Amino acid sequence: MDTLLTQILNSLFYASILFLIACGLSLVYGVMRIVNMAHGSLYAVGAYVAAWAVGLVASYLHVSLLLVLLLIGAAAAALAGALLEPTLLRPLYQRPEEYQLLMTFGLLLILEDLMRMVWGPYPLTASALSEFFPSISVLGATYPGYNIFVIVVGGAAAVGLWAFIYRTRFGILLRATSQNMRMASALGVDVKRIYVQAFTIGCLMAGLGGAVVMPLSGAVLGMGVDALILAFVVVVIGGLGSLEGALVGALIVGAVRTLGIMYFAEIELAVLYLIAAVVLFLRPAGLFGRA
Amino acid sequence: MLELRAINTFRGPAHVLRSLSLRVGDGEAVCLVGRNGAGKTTTLESAINLLPIRSGTVLFKDRDITRLPAHARARLGIGYSPEDAGIFPDLTVAENLEIGRIASRADGAAGRAAVDERVRALFPEIDALVSRRGLNLSGGQKKMVAIARAMALAPAVLLLDEPFEGLAPVVVTRLVEAAKRIKAMGISLLIAESNVTNATRVADRLYAIDRGEIIFQGDPRTALANTDVMKTLRG
Repeated sequence: MDTLLTQILNSLFYASILFLIACGLSLVYGVMRIVNMAHGSLYAVGAYVAAWAVGLVASYLHVSLLLVLLLIGAAAAALAGALLEPTLLRPLYQRPEEYQLLMTFGLLLILEDLMRMVWGPYPLTASALSEFFPSISVLGATYPGYNIFVIVVGGAAAVGLWAFIYRTRFGILLRATSQNMRMASALGVDVKRIYVQAFTIGCLMAGLGGAVVMPLSGAVLGMGVDALILAFVVVVIGGLGSLEGALVGALIVGAVRTLGIMYFAEIELAVLYLIAAVVLFLRPAGLFGRA
Repeated sequence: MLELRAINTFRGPAHVLRSLSLRVGDGEAVCLVGRNGAGKTTTLESAINLLPIRSGTVLFKDRDITRLPAHARARLGIGYSPEDAGIFPDLTVAENLEIGRIASRADGAAGRAAVDERVRALFPEIDALVSRRGLNLSGGQKKMVAIARAMALAPAVLLLDEPFEGLAPVVVTRLVEAAKRIKAMGISLLIAESNVTNATRVADRLYAIDRGEIIFQGDPRTALANTDVMKTLRG
């Protein structure tokens, strides 16, 4: 029973992080029809900036206040998004998709090198943050408190994003633009503004994901690419462009990873790709995507 | 109110509109009549700037708006309902209407409420559809919601692309009545229409377009009596 509960919590923990990364990737594709290869790097930017900010003031502030600094990581990724979309992506919207893929792939490489240049090759850590949370006893099972915090952040992000997209005026504009960009502009919607806002929100979510995972795994070179690959598996299963798809995809991948670590660690990734391939074969647009 | 002066528009490599000029006066209902492929949709898309013009000038209330993007034109008061109605399929009818309301020119809450009331009076049947998703509407319902949505902008001129196409005669009559009431509100209309008879039911003035050029402009009755024009329009 304890093991089962721990595994469920582990699944939710993975799913939370995966959702934070994949929801932004899916949102950006849904609204702008751009597959952002640099999305994982913005997740890494969130981790690095959060670790750097925590390291800078760790000796002056109480640990509980340092948690707030995680938001700086998210804000940095959002700011990067707000600058990158109008400067590097906007000029390419009239061109075929390959150009956008090439541009975002180039951006991935540049961001990876920039992070290496600024923060060096060694991981940045802030484990004091995760250690600040005592282990919690849930129905007899003992579970790390920080992991529960990550699950709560992921859940809150899912609810918040859902409410934002389906319950606000901005959400209506966002959905209208994603469904028919030309018609939206003919009705007074400034599509350029919606694009930069959607891209910024996507990057904010990725940055938040990177920032909350950082106290556990550190900010490490290459973490962005690893995250991107898993995020792609999530959106392929759930359906690129769908928020519900990102959530369900994250839960599936989270559960399979947890099971994989226990029972088939050597082929864990292969099993994930196999599931993605089966979904692609049976439902090419993903479980929640629209062909 | 709205004027296109010697505009040239291309679709890809095709030169569609050739030095086309057209004027819609204040409170006037103007029909642009022509066969399929004559350039009617291109004219309307040029007017709202969904398709950029290559040369020429677009004036709105005597102001040069040639360089303004589509959304800025909509906010100035140019409403648009495309041929396929352009209803957002996954948005409810209420949300579709809300899009028009967000960019509305109406002043304050009272102004917006007055516009809402006017739209409701125009199409009372929409009240029963507000929670329905766009993709579940019939052809006639889509056209009504598209016009109502453009009206929510509180426009000064409304561009309607084939508003009666593919609809049952009773629905066409319903929409013709609506167009007349919109005109009675003092809103100018530019309607692209391939059916001359339908056009004459609404139009104060009529332009006939063929291969991207205006071949006739004037009173609808004069057009009906002009055998050359009618021959071109009926093919």
